[in-house]
Amino acid sequence: MIDQPLFISLLALPFLAAPLIYLFGRLSVRKGKLLGMKVAKTLTLAVLLAEIVLLVLTVKAAMGGSSVQQLIGLELMRFDGIGLILSAIVLVLGVCVTIFSFPYMNNEKGEEKFYALLMMTIGSIIGLGFSYDLFNLWIWFEAMAISTYFLVAFYNEQSASLEAGLKYLVQSAVGSALVLFGIAAIFAAMGSTSLEDIWQYGAQLGTLGVLGLVLMIVGFGVKAALVPMHTWLPDAHSQAPSGISAMLSGVVIEAGLVAMLRVISMTGKLGGNWGYILIIFACLNILVGNLMALRQTEIKRLLAYSSLAHVGYMLFGFGIGFAFGSGAGTEGGFFHMLTHGLMKGLAFLSVGALLYALKLVKGDHSALTLEDLNGASRKYPLIAVCLSVAVLALGGLPPFAGFMSKWMILVAGVQTKNTWMLIAVIFVGLNSVLSLGYYAPIVNRLFKREMSEVVTAGKRVPWTMSLPIVFLTLAVILIGVWPMLTDFLLYNGQYFLLGYFFN
Amino acid sequence: MISILIACSIGLPWVGALLVWLIGDKHEKVQHWTSILFSLAAGAAAVLMLWNTTGDAGLTIKMGGIFGDFTFIPDGLGVFLAVIATVIGSLAVIFSTSYMKGETQIGRYYAFVLFFIGAMVGLVLTSNIMLMFLFWEITALCSYALIAFHNDDPKAVRGGIKALIITSIGGVGLLLGALILFVYTGSFDIRLFIADHSAVPAGMMAVLAFGFLIAAAAKSAQFPFQTWLPDAMEAPSPISALIHAATMVNAGVYLLARFFPAFKDVLYWREAVMIVGMLSALLAAIMALTSTDLKRVLAYSTVSQLGYMVYAVGAGSVFASQFHLFSHSIFKALLFLGAGAVIHSVGTRDMTKMGGVGKHMPFVKWVFIIGALALSGIPILNGFWSKELVLEAGLAGGPSWIYAVMVLVAGLTALYTIRCVWMVFFGEARSDYHAHKVELAMKVALAPLALAALVSWLAVGPFSQLLGEATLPQHNIETLSLASMFHEVLSIPTLIALIGIAIGIALWLLRSKLAGFIEGLKSLQWAAEHSFGFEAVNSAVVRVTNGLAETLRNTQTGLLNWNVLGILAALIILLAAIILGA
Amino acid sequence: MNLPIPFIVLLAVISLAGTGFYCLLFTRNLIKVVVALQLIVKGVVLAFVLAGHLQQNESLAQTMAITVIVADTIVAVIGLSLAVQIRQHTGSLDLKALSKLKR
Repeated sequence: MIDQPLFISLLALPFLAAPLIYLFGRLSVRKGKLLGMKVAKTLTLAVLLAEIVLLVLTVKAAMGGSSVQQLIGLELMRFDGIGLILSAIVLVLGVCVTIFSFPYMNNEKGEEKFYALLMMTIGSIIGLGFSYDLFNLWIWFEAMAISTYFLVAFYNEQSASLEAGLKYLVQSAVGSALVLFGIAAIFAAMGSTSLEDIWQYGAQLGTLGVLGLVLMIVGFGVKAALVPMHTWLPDAHSQAPSGISAMLSGVVIEAGLVAMLRVISMTGKLGGNWGYILIIFACLNILVGNLMALRQTEIKRLLAYSSLAHVGYMLFGFGIGFAFGSGAGTEGGFFHMLTHGLMKGLAFLSVGALLYALKLVKGDHSALTLEDLNGASRKYPLIAVCLSVAVLALGGLPPFAGFMSKWMILVAGVQTKNTWMLIAVIFVGLNSVLSLGYYAPIVNRLFKREMSEVVTAGKRVPWTMSLPIVFLTLAVILIGVWPMLTDFLLYNGQYFLLGYFFN
Repeated sequence: MISILIACSIGLPWVGALLVWLIGDKHEKVQHWTSILFSLAAGAAAVLMLWNTTGDAGLTIKMGGIFGDFTFIPDGLGVFLAVIATVIGSLAVIFSTSYMKGETQIGRYYAFVLFFIGAMVGLVLTSNIMLMFLFWEITALCSYALIAFHNDDPKAVRGGIKALIITSIGGVGLLLGALILFVYTGSFDIRLFIADHSAVPAGMMAVLAFGFLIAAAAKSAQFPFQTWLPDAMEAPSPISALIHAATMVNAGVYLLARFFPAFKDVLYWREAVMIVGMLSALLAAIMALTSTDLKRVLAYSTVSQLGYMVYAVGAGSVFASQFHLFSHSIFKALLFLGAGAVIHSVGTRDMTKMGGVGKHMPFVKWVFIIGALALSGIPILNGFWSKELVLEAGLAGGPSWIYAVMVLVAGLTALYTIRCVWMVFFGEARSDYHAHKVELAMKVALAPLALAALVSWLAVGPFSQLLGEATLPQHNIETLSLASMFHEVLSIPTLIALIGIAIGIALWLLRSKLAGFIEGLKSLQWAAEHSFGFEAVNSAVVRVTNGLAETLRNTQTGLLNWNVLGILAALIILLAAIILGA
Repeated sequence: MNLPIPFIVLLAVISLAGTGFYCLLFTRNLIKVVVALQLIVKGVVLAFVLAGHLQQNESLAQTMAITVIVADTIVAVIGLSLAVQIRQHTGSLDLKALSKLKR
């Protein structure tokens, strides 16, 4: 029974396309012809663009007033603001990463798997956002995890990649098992896994419900890289192909966060200080992330650690949202999720472009160090400017997007009119300054006159790589000067998250 | 009309910045002329605003929600500072066409200079507190990028990052204050807050006022944040003149002056402001006395003179502080550009290697001396009048012991200024430098500033009118005619101040006979050379942070077992917290 | 001793998960790590069965248990294939040799 063809296509298309993409690519590899690979690449891009169109059309349909939802078996998928934000981020970033990867992954061993897995990752993240059933949520979550295991360990000739992949797999699996224990606890308490039911009878869940929720917070927290469950992140993000690093940092950890928020929001009637717990995790993440990044010498690892801090900013916003019923805090959290996706995606893609031109083209798989960036602006002026925009935006400097989202979160912090929150706001502000201590030197290195050896011997960056980078740069600046562009997304996300939590 | 002027004075430099960058470094000449054109156009727009000041919104961009409406108000205070930023900005750009000739990546240089000018104008004209914070941070960003313009020089990079971090730490104070202002008044409009701040409870008001004081002290390089400005002297000289003497460092004083009507009743706020000003003025003057780096001497003197302005605000005279700011922008820009001409020509900043430069560069010598006399507060240059007004205001509105210290500092100012002029321009050459000719562009920039240092004080009447009730109803600044300024300045306290200055000069003239006395000051000199321990505090903070970061890195063991333990530990701690909490 | 059956199952769940976590914390062998993950997930499956029994909703529990087993098998296969590749590249299955990425 399909009464929502648009919505169903939005959910199903990536999974229908993924095998096809693999098939085309595989045939071309078998036959030694390049045509099939080209078809596979084009198909990936076409499907993602079609997904964007479908998303816009579904939004239009949902704006018509009727609720857009679909039962798959017994499990409900519903189109709402939270899923909308996540899908918007994943699709925009997905298109950028796909275009970027055309030259980046060209002729890599296993190239045909890459696009199919990327498509699956994107599809499962979209599904995860719209899921209204606890067990279903886990299925999407696990699908996302499984498809990213391969992608992290993509360079399976490199022992470092394998190591990162294995650690990611084990820790994710542990997290996933904890989530399942949590689901089992909630199922044992009320005999249903429908989030609607859980929301409605949340007050009756009792101790088992609290236990389940804690298990799920920790379980999803592994994916969302809450300190101290974060240890897989720097390895995975730095070893994955750069496009995948962008996806991991820009949306995958956020998907974990969204799953966690969804669960907390739906168990609102359970009571408890979940907001404060998130705020404590937020402060921990911000501090540890910034300090760990401060002394890093490998640029991708540095960016990975900075993701920890940025998850912290988001958590701070959401924590304020749950603890004080602050709409601004929740909107700020979603806003930072969005801007962080763009900024960190931009940072990883720019670094990836440099990594590609300086090392990968020559088959050198060693890490790109800060030293290697010296003088890059003389040979790659465009990429250097874009990377500078990315790191300065991450550091929260205007007129870039990161400034606006941090502003929104901190406004919410003071709006609580709570002394502790005031202190926390100062703490977050000072940490943002601390982060400039590692972002700013990157910019200085890029604009040195003296070029490092690898830059001197560097190759050209193909225009297909520059294109998504320029697009993301413009987006980061545009949102920085016109933040209200995202208002529609943020308001709806906030409406659904807090709407359930407080009713 | 006014909205177009506002848009032009902010927007034109930004458009220019983009253009210069897009033109590319292969067309250096075009870049020079584009920057001159756009900065002059912005200057013209700002000057035209002088006749169109109003206390109402001149330009509003609807944004709403959590960001407020982006409103700009061309009132007297704002327009005055916008004029300073754009006019001195234009002169700095003209000077740069000669100073920066042949440098690589000149596009990046001009782009940031123009970006800065636009942001500075935005900062002083906006009435939206978030926008104010935004522009505040943009000026810090530009300042950082320009200090570290020579990215290959590790000292320049360190200086840039230090400036960025310290001003951003102060920025947290502004951020906090801005958020409190918004949350409690429910509006981003600072006019409403200044007119009526009863909505903010007293405790929050104190946090707000002192937060702004911290921000202002960091931005204006005041005690205890003064250490970044001397290190910022690695920037090209036009940048030091524009950003670190004439405009950006004034932003702190501007902030205090702008919000003075709201903060003046906050307990101990005015006292704190005066003490911050006094300590900055005193300590920096002593450091200027011992430094041998020409630009550092000027940097210390900037800190010291900014201390006077801060002191004036604390004493309750926004007018005196702004009038001194006006004079100081002119003579300090003059001094910095003059110093730039000397450094460009001689090739060193070390004054012990100069001496006798005046013979080779008579034009620069004379304009520099004009600037130096103004800085020392010698009648009848602009620095004399404004400094006297500051001291009068201090005597009237503050405790007399602070006044005494400020008079002492006036004497010290004269002393270090004479020392500096002497070491650079007079005596015998102490190394075999090769002085180059001064180019036309440099003279074009220096001449109007020298002239202005001589006569700008004549404009006191129109200046006080500009800051008057018409556009700044809360500040209660009365119109001061030239005649009444004479009357006010020519009084006993002025005589005291002049005696102080005279003693300073006498000390210099008698320096050979006072060898024993100077010997006694050696320990003070040692302390001054180590910047009274503030540098040690800075490096200790950096060291501790880095040490902490290095230690923390050990927690990433790389061993899977430990990683899993992290997950379990989180679970157990969370469960324990829930059980204990429930 | 006369323990109710659900309680015994709960004990089994706890001991399975406990053994798994103990193993994850202390083993240095990659294959054992994958086995430990399996043990934990077996505990999960049992937990679902128990929950279904408590709520008289065995059919849903069964569905979920089977789904978990399928997903878990995939994870195990990937984990083992990674282990094989690691053995090929480094010649060892020791976790200690697999801690190049740190700090």
